[in-house]
Amino acid sequence: MTVKIYSTPSCHWCHKTKDFFNENNVEFTDIDVTQDQDAAKEMVEKSGQMGVPVIDINGEIIVGFKEPLITDLLKLK
Amino acid sequence: MEKYDFLILGAGGTGLAAAMYGARLGMKTLVLGATHGSELPIGGVITTTSYVENYPGFKKILGFDLAKNLEEHAREYDLVTIKNEKATEVKKLDNLFIIKTEKGEYEAKSILFATGTKWRKLEVPGSLEFENKGVNYCALCDAPLFKDKITAIVGGSDSAGKDALILAEHAKKVYIIYRGEQIHPEPITLKDIEKNDKIEIINNTNVVEVKGEKLLNSVIFDKEYNGNKELELSGLFIAIGHLVLSDLAEPLDVKMNEKKEIIIDHKTSETNVPGIYAAGDVTDKQFKQLITGVADGCTAAYSAFEYLQQNK
Repeated sequence: MTVKIYSTPSCHWCHKTKDFFNENNVEFTDIDVTQDQDAAKEMVEKSGQMGVPVIDINGEIIVGFKEPLITDLLKLK
Repeated sequence: MEKYDFLILGAGGTGLAAAMYGARLGMKTLVLGATHGSELPIGGVITTTSYVENYPGFKKILGFDLAKNLEEHAREYDLVTIKNEKATEVKKLDNLFIIKTEKGEYEAKSILFATGTKWRKLEVPGSLEFENKGVNYCALCDAPLFKDKITAIVGGSDSAGKDALILAEHAKKVYIIYRGEQIHPEPITLKDIEKNDKIEIINNTNVVEVKGEKLLNSVIFDKEYNGNKELELSGLFIAIGHLVLSDLAEPLDVKMNEKKEIIIDHKTSETNVPGIYAAGDVTDKQFKQLITGVADGCTAAYSAFEYLQQNK
């Protein structure tokens, strides 16, 4: 399972999402789009929008910290 | 059903401070993270602020860090439980309250509305279609995505001014579009705006439409600016005020003003209904700040404590 999060350092929901991954021992790659313009473009292309966080779970794109959906996709319960 | 002495709706600074005091006064206290309509995590609106420079004891602290400190402080008390659940209904049953969430039901002897506010949305053609596609609400979160782009912020308040300054750290150009005569941020914010070459203020102007293809391309004004009603830009951030989240108090016959702010006794944070208190941004208080909300939350906890003592 590959999990990526496109985030900015000052985004509260990005922090909450990463806290959630850590609490549930989910390994993830954090992509700071403020430091990587190509990744920022990739995020906009994948999600069709310009808000963070964007979460990529095995190619499924989720915009925002949608806990129930993320829980389902990660099969946490 | 879990039973509590004091149940707090809303886990912003106000609710977390009230919880801390509730526990110190010996009340078994539950904080529910949000209410229907709120889009903020535990910590509330302060998590959307970059730096807080007006909270005593901290010369300068990230809003997110201050929120985390408040949460950790409240969690220090064994009598405090904080749940990231949304309350969906509150009922009064004799002298008790039944609070439903999407996950369960709770019983409480007293309750506090610390539900705060949500962003007022821009309601013009295209604004919903392009939400998060250029029409964004959290400058702190999303401003870095507009690096070297032309952007604007709608609003004239201190929040709008601060958002413009955040945007100017990343964008090539930032317009502040305000419907009134003159924007009115705090003097210290206005000074920073005036010093910033990237920021241009357009007063007496309304955005009447937003346009684009996949993403936002331009906005239409209700009057010409520099000879044109259309302004090309990539990002339009909205800071046109807040709407109070008091819906759950309505069925309880809690008195509100025309803005749906809960009317409280400003000495005690009591509402007109015994056992129901309100504090912070959801109330009819005039100066809404973290520090004033925190103070109201503590007052409400003390009033709830006295109420429980009298109604043992």
